[in-house]
Amino acid sequence: MKLNQRILTSAILILLGLVIAMVPENTTRPYKLTPQQMVEEISIGTEMIQPDELADWLINNDPTLQLIDVRDPDAFDQFHLPGAVNIPLKDLLSDEWVDYLDQDVKMNVLYSNGTTKAHNCWMILDQLGYENNYVLQGGLNYWVETILNPQKPGAAVSDDELARYDFRKGASQALGGGIQTASPAVDKPKKAKPPVKRRKKKKAPEGGC
Amino acid sequence: MGPLFPQEIISGNWNLFLAFIMGILFGFILEQAGFSSSRKLVGVFYGYDTVVLKVFLTAAVTAMLGLLYFSLFGWIDLSLVYVNPTYLWPTIVGGIIMGVGFIMGGYCPGTSLCASAIGKIDAMFFFGGIFIGIFFFAEGYPLVKHFYMSGFMGAPKAYELLGISGGVFALLVIIAAALMFWGGEWAEKKFPREEY
Amino acid sequence: MRLKHMNPYLAGVLLGLTLLLTFFISGRGLGASGAVKKVLVAAVATAAPEHAAESAFYSKYSGVDKHPLRAWLVFEMLGVAIGGFLSGAIAGRLKFRNEHSPKITSKRRAVLAGIGGILFGFGSQLGRGCTSGSALTGMAVLSLQGFIAMMSIFGTAFIMAYFFRKNWI
Repeated sequence: MKLNQRILTSAILILLGLVIAMVPENTTRPYKLTPQQMVEEISIGTEMIQPDELADWLINNDPTLQLIDVRDPDAFDQFHLPGAVNIPLKDLLSDEWVDYLDQDVKMNVLYSNGTTKAHNCWMILDQLGYENNYVLQGGLNYWVETILNPQKPGAAVSDDELARYDFRKGASQALGGGIQTASPAVDKPKKAKPPVKRRKKKKAPEGGC
Repeated sequence: MGPLFPQEIISGNWNLFLAFIMGILFGFILEQAGFSSSRKLVGVFYGYDTVVLKVFLTAAVTAMLGLLYFSLFGWIDLSLVYVNPTYLWPTIVGGIIMGVGFIMGGYCPGTSLCASAIGKIDAMFFFGGIFIGIFFFAEGYPLVKHFYMSGFMGAPKAYELLGISGGVFALLVIIAAALMFWGGEWAEKKFPREEY
Repeated sequence: MRLKHMNPYLAGVLLGLTLLLTFFISGRGLGASGAVKKVLVAAVATAAPEHAAESAFYSKYSGVDKHPLRAWLVFEMLGVAIGGFLSGAIAGRLKFRNEHSPKITSKRRAVLAGIGGILFGFGSQLGRGCTSGSALTGMAVLSLQGFIAMMSIFGTAFIMAYFFRKNWI
């Protein structure tokens, strides 16, 4: 006997419809990296930015630099680095900030008081496939210690270390630190900035007649 | 993973080439289903042939289910799939004008090209008429522009208005489609017509 | 020899899978009337470039950076013509003929088809898509617009069917 085509079609479609009506919608955002890739990325440590590098870009008013403060708004209001935007950890995934975090124009440097919180944020962003995000090594605590209040090294130190001290002293002055001295920074450590990676842009869907 | 082109997994040229291939499949299936015959197409409005109803609804429901399942399995990112924006009033009035055109001309744009390709002369007249109709619209655009932009609601999904999930809504559409298939086959028996 | 038409449910499933594949590849659905628009825009831009540049309608679709014919729908519709021809050739349906009810003349059928085309062309622009681009594709993505368009097109045709019955049956 030939099965009625209409009943067969209707039955299969209704069955598939019942299943799809009962399962919840898939709203997960795909994570892009495997644990192995993550381990490799972290062990290389290219996501870390040293305070000296950051100070250099800040003094030069590098337009491609975007500082992102992941601490609470209260802490942000008390003190933050110049030009930083406040994206607290709990708002990291809100749509409001996607344009800041998922982009290929600027280099984002995340910071918190220490390294941990900023690094946690970076790991989430990295998993989501967002590029051009970095973490300030040591966070604000280390920043204040090294850049804003540099300690004069003892007598028996290398020239390198003296030069670094001079730079920090200058940076401290330029960035509003505690110690004011006369000598401006002349010898800046030249370090290449990580390049901003051009990411494959998703196109806005097009269609219609 | 998908959709491929919006994520630049394939290039623009590939996208156009595959559009051509998809078009071949589209045209082939339309012709195979009998959509190259105006009297078969309008049969749905008189009950003697409801092939349009069956093919159209089965296709819409199949693609609808496919998208929902693909999204469930994570094979396609639905936020990158184009959703037609809703301009309420122009859609309704445009639909009414198209409905009258449908019952007078016996085709719609896609089927008229498909039928023209196998030599249907009425389809060629219809296809030519589309050019004139769009030309009228283009020339009269400043006059209708205000209406054309009216009733804008963004690009809502139908189920969002009802406050139910996409899956439940799809199930309701499928049940409605199954009822219409049943009604269609009933009508074919009631209004039989041989050789047209 | 003329072959029979495909089972409508099978054809529907295949058409649905084609549409699904289109979404997967291009992130958009099938369409038809948009291709005619693109061809028309290209023709007007060639024949009367000044008029096309001034017009609010043509200038939307034409410009220095985009050629109106380098469009997804234009390539798709080229395929539709070829696909329809192939199917007709396989099934033995290639034949020049004007299909009409025996109760009306061939000329009347041609005029009605032409008027129907004009209305469909105009309506598809006002309604932002035809049966394929708006109703079928719109329903597949569950867009509100697709369901409104479907009900509006088929509902009107169903209501008007009575007045045009002599042309068909």
